[in-house]
Amino acid sequence: MAIVAKTSRFGKYGRPTLAWVVGLFFFFPIFWMVLTSFKTDADAVKPEHLIFFKPTFDNYINMTENYDYWRFAKNSVITAVMATVFTLFVGIPCAYAMAFNPSRATKDVLMWMLSTKMLPAAAVLYPMTFITKSAGLFDTHFLIILVLSLINMPIVIWMLFTYFKEIPKDIIEAGQMDGANTWGEIKEILIPLAWGGIASTALLCFIFCWNEAYWTVRLTTTDAATLSKLIEGNRAPEGLFFGRLSAVSAAAVGPIVVLGWFCQKQLVQGLTFGAVK
Amino acid sequence: MSDWLENHLPKAVLAPSFIAVLIFVYGFIAWTGWVSFTRSRLLPKYEIEGIIQYERLFASPRWDTAMNNLLLFGALFIVISMVLGLLLAILLDQQIRTEGVIRTIYLYPMALSMIVTGTAWKWILNPGLGIEAMVRGWGFESFTFDWLVNPDYAIYTVVLAGVWQSSGFVMALFLAGLRSVDEEIIKAAQVDGIPTWRIYSAIIIPSMAPIFLSAFIVLAHLAIKSFDLVIALTGGGPGYATDLPATYMYAMAFSRGDIGQAASSAMVMMGVVFAIVVPYLYSELRPRND
Repeated sequence: MAIVAKTSRFGKYGRPTLAWVVGLFFFFPIFWMVLTSFKTDADAVKPEHLIFFKPTFDNYINMTENYDYWRFAKNSVITAVMATVFTLFVGIPCAYAMAFNPSRATKDVLMWMLSTKMLPAAAVLYPMTFITKSAGLFDTHFLIILVLSLINMPIVIWMLFTYFKEIPKDIIEAGQMDGANTWGEIKEILIPLAWGGIASTALLCFIFCWNEAYWTVRLTTTDAATLSKLIEGNRAPEGLFFGRLSAVSAAAVGPIVVLGWFCQKQLVQGLTFGAVK
Repeated sequence: MSDWLENHLPKAVLAPSFIAVLIFVYGFIAWTGWVSFTRSRLLPKYEIEGIIQYERLFASPRWDTAMNNLLLFGALFIVISMVLGLLLAILLDQQIRTEGVIRTIYLYPMALSMIVTGTAWKWILNPGLGIEAMVRGWGFESFTFDWLVNPDYAIYTVVLAGVWQSSGFVMALFLAGLRSVDEEIIKAAQVDGIPTWRIYSAIIIPSMAPIFLSAFIVLAHLAIKSFDLVIALTGGGPGYATDLPATYMYAMAFSRGDIGQAASSAMVMMGVVFAIVVPYLYSELRPRND
């Protein structure tokens, strides 16, 4: 429960104001990026045009010509969506099995899965590039979808497991009585019941896939390159093209900001790995 | 048939990912471990030569900087994120009406890619463009804020951006923890007239110990794996003043053509992660006989 100090004027107005001021600090870099994206490259580096400037859409118009934005955006959407779908497709039956037919090893298996997430990716980075190149998989959508799925699988299964565990086993067993088979149980009973948790998990997985830079930057060149690669590859020398780069950056985080705003509950639930219900 | 499936479903579903993990994680780690004992340079070699790479690694001033940075960055990043996260959680716990919206805003940095938001940070921290230029523009001509390009202070900008990214997440964890503390105990303490700060320090915070531990583990392994942060902000510079083990390893593998060094640094990094995570996993596994 909350300990709320005695109601005073500070309590009534000061605390919410303080919370909002902190919120402004958190949001400032994002806001700044969006603001800069409407400045010309020349205005973006002039202190006198910090707040007052002539807004322009040129950066967004040029973005497609100079940076080929849509190709990268398309790759990001394809890989993130496909990887999320695939991860859930594997993760839901897996978490279902562990939540409703637990064995003595279930917790060990979960912990073991999560432990792979803790290992530094650096240790497998070189062999990964080496082998994917010789296997001809380098820079393909298939590889990126596979990698994104694999790195997010442990967290997805973990989260789904914590949600599924809260569903009374009786309900699932009642379905068995009615003669539903395993897939029927998952489809007709489990998914509708755990819909909220699955949605949070899916959103989290999508966000992680969308943001992934370590692997997508290293394992792509052009064909499967995502927005992370586009931005990473366009680190201009100091002060150059800040307007343009801001536009690309804003367009890269925009979908997540908007998606997060409309799914606030799922965002908070997902990002805290289900700790906030 | 359906019984058999029922009983073996967990194993059947796990098998493919188990094999994949076996090859892609442990197999590759074993490969890296093997290579770390060879004289590999531009291309991997497979003749074991002993601990020569580790000797070179620990003699390297650049690796020394990277490890010192990791210690400094890790300590500041974890402590500041936790303290700030706790304070923000207590603030948001004061029945603020727009809590939901504020919580989302606090969490946004965690939801966005650092590679992307780094664009804004570079701008803000750039002496010629960001805060320094802004404050000077207001008439304070002698104001300097050049941490980003100052080798002695550049690492603190990485801490700043790291805290910005993670403290909202820690806040959300702690907020959930504050809400789960037993109301009766708090009410009893309040009736006894115990001051609020004592209730927090003696009752609420100790009862949130498991959350502190989880937050610590998440933050610690984020700190060790931090790569995006440095790449997005400083690229390891100026010079190699803000190198972290992850960026050292990366530079060795992909721009310096020194696979042996990359492999040995990766193995040391993994050792550090293990030293932190294994005791935690072990303690998590212990009380499972419930």
